[in-house]
Amino acid sequence: MVTTDALVLHAFDYRETSRIVRLVTRELGIVSAIARGARRPRSKFGAALDLFASGEAQLITTMGRDLHTLNAFETTKSRPALAESLDRFAAAAALAELLLRFAPEQEDPGLLDTVTDALDALTMAPKGAAEPVALGGAWCLVAELGFAPSLDECVACHAAIDSAASVTFQHRAGGVLCGNCARQAPGARTLPPAARDAIRGWLGRHASLPLDGPSLRAHQRLLREFLEEHLTDGGRPLRAVLAWERHEVDA
Amino acid sequence: MSAIDDLVAELARLPTIGRKSALRLTYHLLKQPAEQSRRLAEALVMLAEKVHPCPRCFNLTEQEVCAICADPRRDATLICVVEEASDIGAIERSGEYRGMYHVLGGRLAPIDGIGPDDLTIAPLVERVRAGGVREVILATNAKLEGEATALYLQQQLAASGVSLSRIARGLPVGGDLEYADGVTIAQSITARRQL
Repeated sequence: MVTTDALVLHAFDYRETSRIVRLVTRELGIVSAIARGARRPRSKFGAALDLFASGEAQLITTMGRDLHTLNAFETTKSRPALAESLDRFAAAAALAELLLRFAPEQEDPGLLDTVTDALDALTMAPKGAAEPVALGGAWCLVAELGFAPSLDECVACHAAIDSAASVTFQHRAGGVLCGNCARQAPGARTLPPAARDAIRGWLGRHASLPLDGPSLRAHQRLLREFLEEHLTDGGRPLRAVLAWERHEVDA
Repeated sequence: MSAIDDLVAELARLPTIGRKSALRLTYHLLKQPAEQSRRLAEALVMLAEKVHPCPRCFNLTEQEVCAICADPRRDATLICVVEEASDIGAIERSGEYRGMYHVLGGRLAPIDGIGPDDLTIAPLVERVRAGGVREVILATNAKLEGEATALYLQQQLAASGVSLSRIARGLPVGGDLEYADGVTIAQSITARRQL
């Protein structure tokens, strides 16, 4: 039996009365667990297993099995505000997908804390202003997963890059390139100084500067391309990230 | 591929049935008289051929339109929007509702790749715009995704001018306050009604 802080990233019904949840936990990383009887009207889980709820999970783990048993989940915080505006909802789903697809099934307390901070910030984001908050959370998760892009020195030759200059950003290389290296790197994007400042700020967990609509779209595209290049497992599309970028839900 | 492999593969496509369960069901059927398997096969064929979504409300029916849409005694000015056809049965069992329904076919779930175009939201908007509707009751589940779906519907239907309502949330009838979880109690307090 393991008792650990956890957050619900995904939940779906299983058979007549149970639910399967995917949690990000402090002790075990990402885990899948079955909550038997969770759909019964008087289940001990109550409303605890809703998406993005934080709490203390009591897991019965079995060596060699992917699906654990959730014995109890004591909610410490639910986040109904994420459903009170569709841009928050779409952004929260994108963050959850990022973790579900790419986080390892091993202890990583930083992941839980980072996604908790990001979702808390999203719940407080003014309506219509969730994108920059979610972009910040997503880049922090990318950094926590060990893929933070290099922004201040050439990722190929380590030459210092002028912080006020537009630079070449190549997803495959993992960051910015100096002029010489950029010439040998086709398919790169140009990153204006303001965009680089924004990403640097997000990675440093500073409050986001105001960004106009086209800049936000460009940042969402840059993030998605970066994720697809470095993290996508088996070429499956990032459905929630794409839906968030295309404003399919919050149009 | 053998007949056993074929059936296992088909059964394993069903929700909540993995390969092991599919194999178990297949061997169970093989132990039964052949007539039983034939009846199951016929029932599946009939299901596929006869049952279809009602063109008005997307409830499942074997008729041209479902029994609820065809019933002239029901209040056609009232539409209750539910996620799944099975939710209709739950509301009908209450005996309290005499209006019409609209089945969305799910709820917004970006992680599962379900967006507005995957649900019957456009036909609902069209149905309301066509007129004759006084109120739309949003009865999606009281989970985060159900709430987001209700919000999306609210935004889509706002311009229609019809009255929009959301089903109430809170303590279950017969439940003890002492044993209710904090989220449910908070919802009950927020949605309290004046006496």
